[in-house]
Amino acid sequence: MNISRRTFLKDAGLLVAAMGMGPALLPTVAEALEEMATGRAPILWLQGQSCSGCSVSLLNSESPGPADLVTRYLSLYFHQTLSAATGEAAKEAMARAIEAGGYILVVEGAVPLGMPEACRIAEENFVSLLTRAASKAKAVVSVGACASFGGIPAAPPNLTGAAAVSEALERAGIQVPLIHLPGCPPHPAWIVGNLVQVLKVGIPELDEFRRPKRTYGQLLHEQCPYFANYQAKKFALHPGDAGCLFKLGCQGVVTHSDCSSRGWNGGVNWCIRGRAVCIGCARPEFAKDPAFPFYRLNEKPETV
Amino acid sequence: MSTIKIDPLTRIEGHLRIDTRVEDGRVVEAWSRGEMFRGFEALLVGRDPLDAPVITQRICGVCPVSHAVASCKAVEAALGLVTPANGDYLRNLVLGANYLQSHILHFYQLSALDFVNVEDLLGYSGSDPVLRELKAWAGSEVASNRVLPVAPFLPKLPGDYPSNTQWNLGALAHYVEALEIRQEAHRMAALFGGKMPHTATLIPGGVTCGVDVEAVENFRMRLRRVKRFIENVYLPDVIAAAGLFPAYAGIGRGVPNYLSYGVFDESGSTWLPAGILIEGRFEPLDTARISETTATSYYDQSGSLHPTRGEIRPHPEKAGAYSWLKGPRYNGLACEVGPLARILVAVAAGSKPIGGAVDDLLKESGLTADALQSTLGRHACRALEALLVAQRMEEWLNLLQPGAPSVAVYASREQGKGEGLTEAPRGALGHWISIDGGRIERYQCIVPSTWNFSPRGEQGEPGPVEVALLDTPVNPAYNGLEMARVVRSFDPCIACAVH
Repeated sequence: MNISRRTFLKDAGLLVAAMGMGPALLPTVAEALEEMATGRAPILWLQGQSCSGCSVSLLNSESPGPADLVTRYLSLYFHQTLSAATGEAAKEAMARAIEAGGYILVVEGAVPLGMPEACRIAEENFVSLLTRAASKAKAVVSVGACASFGGIPAAPPNLTGAAAVSEALERAGIQVPLIHLPGCPPHPAWIVGNLVQVLKVGIPELDEFRRPKRTYGQLLHEQCPYFANYQAKKFALHPGDAGCLFKLGCQGVVTHSDCSSRGWNGGVNWCIRGRAVCIGCARPEFAKDPAFPFYRLNEKPETV
Repeated sequence: MSTIKIDPLTRIEGHLRIDTRVEDGRVVEAWSRGEMFRGFEALLVGRDPLDAPVITQRICGVCPVSHAVASCKAVEAALGLVTPANGDYLRNLVLGANYLQSHILHFYQLSALDFVNVEDLLGYSGSDPVLRELKAWAGSEVASNRVLPVAPFLPKLPGDYPSNTQWNLGALAHYVEALEIRQEAHRMAALFGGKMPHTATLIPGGVTCGVDVEAVENFRMRLRRVKRFIENVYLPDVIAAAGLFPAYAGIGRGVPNYLSYGVFDESGSTWLPAGILIEGRFEPLDTARISETTATSYYDQSGSLHPTRGEIRPHPEKAGAYSWLKGPRYNGLACEVGPLARILVAVAAGSKPIGGAVDDLLKESGLTADALQSTLGRHACRALEALLVAQRMEEWLNLLQPGAPSVAVYASREQGKGEGLTEAPRGALGHWISIDGGRIERYQCIVPSTWNFSPRGEQGEPGPVEVALLDTPVNPAYNGLEMARVVRSFDPCIACAVH
């Protein structure tokens, strides 16, 4: 292949910077990218009870960009939204991939454990497909709030018994390295950076919720540009007000993510800079409790 | 007689299965089956009304902005909030930017591979750097002993792909470019939406971010880049496809009813108008005539109900049911929604600029006005709409007023009912809310792909896609490629359709 080592080094440099890794990791990451490009680390991407938002977020990756990702880096054996293969050809592609095994299984969406018919692919319940695919995988990466923790589909009354991938694998008795990349959706750099890490360095250091510490180790609040406002008790009380959004319901104080230092969509903006509250989409509890609304504007005045 | 099944139908949003019966080389019967259910409407009950736009956006990662807009409008109607002009225009810009990303994604990433011979890449000998890199990659994949080389482009269905090398290579280069252009459109949406997918700033009452002059110019610069792509690449490619696949101007005609709720608020009305065309007859929209049936859906429900009374009782083993989609009807009629419907409704409502743009498109593509109701016509109307929206966005940018508010002062209410209507890239989107004791008492969504991919109704009458598939000529060796082209022209979003 006539892609030069320099290309990998350049992409690796951007990725190392984006992930906040030390420069010492540069050669390792470049090597990982090269290995991904030579197809030694294929990816099988399955969608359960998902909205495809995580896939769309992946396509918003800045370094490497989406074209390089889809072609030379990700070796996507099968992806429901991107694969040319459809119908019989798609079913066969999945079958061939699973038979060969040794891929990274990326899962997007929750698993309807209580109502298996609520998600079917090629006449097979998703629970069963997931179990078959996971048992042949080198590692499983749960991408997004739904795959990691059940997410919105698992909010009460949870008509389908939606659950996290981890729960489905536990029930099936499948032992496989598993990491969680929550967020609704997760930032593309969280997905790409951690895939590289899983491929090359191995499973990253995880916290008690199986989240990579490097990505989810920081409290958003501590790096928030409105931290000074918080300390000075300068709070926004109405949407559009200046000041810290804490009293409007902002969950930056309990959410672990690097949004405040990273920014979204090429860094052009992010929730709080857009003067919207952090909804805590990277938290395990995201959207689960109806008594804990995203905005506190309907609370009775004495409780604000 | 034979049957052809496409399961899963990939390169769409979500889980869709199509079953057909084929006689004498033509489809004589078709069934569209949505294969995934989550239960959004049920989990909204008992929540704070301001949760609704946050939660319902997550019905769909491709068109979250549309759900945010519909939901905000429903809550605003229920609570009596009025958005300031800045709020309307900022929403138009975020929504418009997502139309551009969605339409471009749909043509290149989701549909184009049905019309392109990917293998031509391996014989490429030119000097275009994008194609040279793609060729090097594909070549090394083919030479490797990988299980699935050149994925996700291969394997594909066998079929009548064009032998026109220039088209095949051009479309592949544009596939790559489109990935970057749709990403640029998402940066635009994030400038006023906070982030994408799933915006942060759209809340009942307006948009939280205000009008920042620097962001406006940043947006304008990126919009120019995306608009140039639509003018110079997207629209010409769709016109070229019409020349290469003329038969598809006669394949895929659906039901004769086209519905639009109207979209893009401009001082009290919508830029693209609301209305319904029933067998060529224009009527103003009356949402009291909308109902949803579950006759062949996996739900129990007491008859056909208006969305303010809709129920959500899943029953996966229900006899005679075959889809997780409900069946929306207007006055009992199945209706097509989407860019084709919006354009036909706008022309019927007397919009001169849109009528003129359609005339130009017909001249350039060689399509007749009647042939717009087809597989090709849907692609052509989507591309034309992308251009019209991009042009209009430049005007909305100029209407923003720095310093003026973009969000209304919030006022709580214990009770209220509201209807929120908008248009997603894929068509008419409605949310219906009822609030009691300050909490959501009932919530229903009828989503574009619910209309288009509706299963059979009370009288056994098929939904729009089930009708559009009829008479499609089928080569048994192609495993359903022709049908997949028809289905994809509707831009299916099944996560939306079922929710």
